[in-house]
Amino acid sequence: MKKKFSFSKGYRGRTIFSIFNFIFLAIIMIAMLIPIWKVCVDSVSREVSSTDISLWPQVFTLEAYEIIFSKKALFNPFWVSIYTTAIGTFLGLLISTIGAYILIQRDMPGVKIFSWLFMFTMIFNGGLVPTFLVIVGLGLYDTVWAVIFTLGMNVYNLVLMRSFFEQLPVSLFEAAEIDGCSPFGIFIKIVLPLSKPALASIGLFFAVAYWSEYFHYVLYVTDPDKLNFQVKLRELVLTDEPIPEAKDAGLMSETMKNAAIIVNILPFAIIYPFCQKYFVTGVTLGAVKE
Amino acid sequence: MASTTKSVRPTEQLGRLQSKNKKRGIGGRIKRYANFYVMFIPVLVILFLFYYLPMYGIKYAFTEFTPFGEPTWIGLDNFTKLFEAQRFWNAFNNTLFLSIINLVLSMVFSVGIALLMNEIGRVFIKKVVQTVIYLPHFLSWVVVAGIFTIILSQETGVVNLILEKMGFDRIDFLTNESWWRSIFFFVNRWKETGWGTIIFIAALSGISPDLYEAAEIDGAGRLKQTWYITIPSLMNTILVVFILNLAKIMNIFESVFVLYNASVYNVADVIQTYTYRVGMQGTFNYGYSTAVGLFKSFVALILVGFSNIMSSKVTGKGIV
Amino acid sequence: MKKNFAAKAATLTVALSVIAGLTACGEGRELNPNVYDNKNQYVKYAEDGTLLEIQKPDKIKLVTDTNLTVENGQEKFRDEYVRLTGIDLDLEQPAHNQYYEKINLSFAGGEMPDIMEVGNTYYPNYANYGALFDMTEIWEESDLKNGRLKDWNGDVVTIDEKYVDALKITSDKNKDGIITEDEKDRLYGFPIGRGNGTVTYVRGDWLKELGEANKLGYNHKNDAPTYKGEVIDFNEEFMEEFGEYMEYMPRNYDEFLSMLRAFKSKRADIIPITAAGLINSEAPYDIYLREFYQDARPDFYKPEGSDKYVDGMSEPKMLDALQRMQDAFKEGLMDREIITNKTSTSRNKFYEDKVGCFNYWSGMWCKTLNQDLHKKNADGVAVPMPPIAETEYIERPPTALAITTAAKNPWGVYKWICEFSHDGNDGQMLFSRGIEGEVIKDGDKVKEITGHYKWIEEKKSAEALTPMASPDSKDLVQKGWFSPELSINSFPDPIYIEDKITSSLDMFAKTSRVNPVPKMTLNIADAMTEISTIREEVIAKVVKGEKSPQEGVREYETRASREIETMMKELNG
Repeated sequence: MKKKFSFSKGYRGRTIFSIFNFIFLAIIMIAMLIPIWKVCVDSVSREVSSTDISLWPQVFTLEAYEIIFSKKALFNPFWVSIYTTAIGTFLGLLISTIGAYILIQRDMPGVKIFSWLFMFTMIFNGGLVPTFLVIVGLGLYDTVWAVIFTLGMNVYNLVLMRSFFEQLPVSLFEAAEIDGCSPFGIFIKIVLPLSKPALASIGLFFAVAYWSEYFHYVLYVTDPDKLNFQVKLRELVLTDEPIPEAKDAGLMSETMKNAAIIVNILPFAIIYPFCQKYFVTGVTLGAVKE
Repeated sequence: MASTTKSVRPTEQLGRLQSKNKKRGIGGRIKRYANFYVMFIPVLVILFLFYYLPMYGIKYAFTEFTPFGEPTWIGLDNFTKLFEAQRFWNAFNNTLFLSIINLVLSMVFSVGIALLMNEIGRVFIKKVVQTVIYLPHFLSWVVVAGIFTIILSQETGVVNLILEKMGFDRIDFLTNESWWRSIFFFVNRWKETGWGTIIFIAALSGISPDLYEAAEIDGAGRLKQTWYITIPSLMNTILVVFILNLAKIMNIFESVFVLYNASVYNVADVIQTYTYRVGMQGTFNYGYSTAVGLFKSFVALILVGFSNIMSSKVTGKGIV
Repeated sequence: MKKNFAAKAATLTVALSVIAGLTACGEGRELNPNVYDNKNQYVKYAEDGTLLEIQKPDKIKLVTDTNLTVENGQEKFRDEYVRLTGIDLDLEQPAHNQYYEKINLSFAGGEMPDIMEVGNTYYPNYANYGALFDMTEIWEESDLKNGRLKDWNGDVVTIDEKYVDALKITSDKNKDGIITEDEKDRLYGFPIGRGNGTVTYVRGDWLKELGEANKLGYNHKNDAPTYKGEVIDFNEEFMEEFGEYMEYMPRNYDEFLSMLRAFKSKRADIIPITAAGLINSEAPYDIYLREFYQDARPDFYKPEGSDKYVDGMSEPKMLDALQRMQDAFKEGLMDREIITNKTSTSRNKFYEDKVGCFNYWSGMWCKTLNQDLHKKNADGVAVPMPPIAETEYIERPPTALAITTAAKNPWGVYKWICEFSHDGNDGQMLFSRGIEGEVIKDGDKVKEITGHYKWIEEKKSAEALTPMASPDSKDLVQKGWFSPELSINSFPDPIYIEDKITSSLDMFAKTSRVNPVPKMTLNIADAMTEISTIREEVIAKVVKGEKSPQEGVREYETRASREIETMMKELNG
């Protein structure tokens, strides 16, 4: 691919550009890395300074991680986070893709109204108490479904999804229609496979939203067995009170907090490279034409 | 040359298909799309249950309402109270200023960096850069504020140490009215730029390589390709993201909350932080908070409506 | 275009009709029934009018904000409560950050608790909204108040009524929700324990070192610290822990400044005094920086002997206080980052051996500050300083256990929660220590105690170990739900509390006044938002030297004039 674009005419300019581009991005990368590196370092050092940034731990220790990973009280919340994130992301993508697919049917009677119905909710909302009462009324109070449903319907993501679907070449739809494909068939066989970058990015948005959700859990869930990782992490580690285990181990609470932050980022640092696969390889039309 | 490399706007393609369908009557069209309506029902039900059912709460904006008793109708009193408070208008102006500038900067930086990353030839390097710059998003605002407070500290901060070495005066960045906003924009870009690029990277990968190949044959340079193919193809996404974010700008809170302090209220206080402090007094006037919410919604409505009209005028297409 | 408009109009109609149709859903919620009149159903009186019997509730729903987490053994606590009382306890602890939101939603959703924990900022509001049961009468007639309770040694349980009185407020709404002026001094909650407050911690090791080298410019070898002219009667533990530093402690503001200066010249990176902000975000606003505020109060208050409120910001002594802070900041005695500091940052700076003095909570924190300082500097000592002559410390109003108007049998709830937890007996042991038969820690060994609590009475070195947690837990928590060291009654606590904790508390109690619960109405709350915003801004500007104190106060008075007027009208009637 690289070779394809480096034709002789602008070759030198291109090389200079590449170098500068790389240097520029490298600087940005370092600027972004330093604070994260600081959090990493602080999570493995016995002494954490509140006024300095140390780039290397003075006294190295992994005890903070040991404490977090051995905290039984965090196991179940971690599991809750995993399954709500999985179900939620699936539901979110389902709603967004169906909604978006319908909204691009510009000729479908009522589509404008649907479109406005969505947009209206993005701007107006009923407020905390009424929403709470509806959740209670639906019998969803104290279940994770209250959180899954409220986050799953996300107009922002839906409209983004629609903008991706609009990019798809219409000729494909036509061809499929001529082949006798049903609307649902087109959706499954053409729209979805061609929208992998969109699915990956918006799926990531959903996953992150579900993973880091705090507020809705606190409001709608009381059963401690149904609280997610975020809530418990904040309650057990990211508090202002000294953490008993850290005290026993002679660790500063700051070390624990930093370790908790890293543990929290970890899943997405791991997942992202897998999502990238879909961003980097573009759509190749041939792939869908059997 | 431009004429050959110019991309065909997807919506125009869509239009071609639809014009054929236009010929059918409305009954015919409903019948044709019958399956779609069925598919749509679950989405509509969820939308209705979780968003439209609670909408009756909007009426509380005109009441004095606590969870402990019946709401009493007080007409526009909540709004009068809101509009009479002088710090509220200060907060309102700051909200618009901080969010809009922040939004514009975020568009410029995220699109710019996405384009630059797109120019990296090696897939591996590209991946590394992407992964690294997207990480700051996952640090909570509290943590980010803590880190920058250290970096920008007047006594011990790295920035001030360097300034001093260079012979400048130390600057109290976070408590100084003339510096605070720049710092705010910078920290926001630091945290969210990488995350903001994701959607554009996804959009970039959706651009058909055929277009570039055609341009190459025409002898268009890389810059021209970017100008005539990449940016127009991204335009739709850029607009959608911009307008969608416009709908949210009145909600700016956490980023301000963790970075502001009493000496910069003038330039930093926003509506959400203002109402947060109202709540700190220990009252639970849900009527008042609903009124604030409704006011924010109207401002958002105006902004989104206006930009939607502008977008339709300029590009022939709004987001609704 | 036309079609577009039609579509929009149609959508709007749909949306509006949906809203209109749903409006009905909001109606029909009834006011919480005020069960005050049900009293006779649950309470029996003798013929001479004395209280004879209170009917025991079958079930109590309790919502708490602190310490009774699942990890701390919520389940065990519940089981033990049920075992001791035979009452079914429905216990809930929402996340701390959204505690009041959850309480409010539970009211909105009709799932109100019988009794809940309420902090002092929210307490008067809940009372005003009619959410809390007026328990004045219950308290007056209660066994605890009237000395009819015996602790496990057989002695009468006495209670420091100062803390109950601190929760008495003038409610704006009586039980019918009508605003009256004659309902004064009503009680809507029972104190969980003392409110506690902050003392100024000084680096004793530095102080001693500088004092011995004659660097402080004063010495009090032969006179003891005083409070309001009287020699402070420190208890034994305090003298043992901190006595050696007392001769070097500053006794007035001038000496305090000399001390700060001495700290500053000791080492270049020392911050003589730090704090998290210049003014606290909730009442009491001037709880930190006591040496600078002194007798000036940045709040509306009733001066002693007067029954009219004044605005402390407009008093001449506030100008002096602002001047003191401005000077100290300019001289570099105050932390440069005092405005941006969070509580945790200033605490961490202290731990890092950088801070000379720092105002923070007495009691448990005295121990923690010393412990964490030791990690960095083994010689470091945080010594609670007696207040300098110009000032005194301030105790917050206590956190309340408030019975809601939704409670069917408030007398029973009072008896089996409020009084039971202060009974000087098994009940109090459960609430403040944990569960009988659970583990205690003796030195490094963890011991299982199977007998009665009295069994460990003489074990002076024992420390309770998360009483409610599982025996294999390493969690070291010295309390059950309430903090035993903040107990307000005569409880013969068999478990030893560390000297650092009790001594600092004792000194604090002897040198502080209890702040009353601030008066609160909706108008006050609205006005206070504006006032405190402007107040914070002005104080910050004055301290940073951008304005003179006079200019600052004038700015405050002009910009907040309307709200100040509202406040005066609301407070003074």
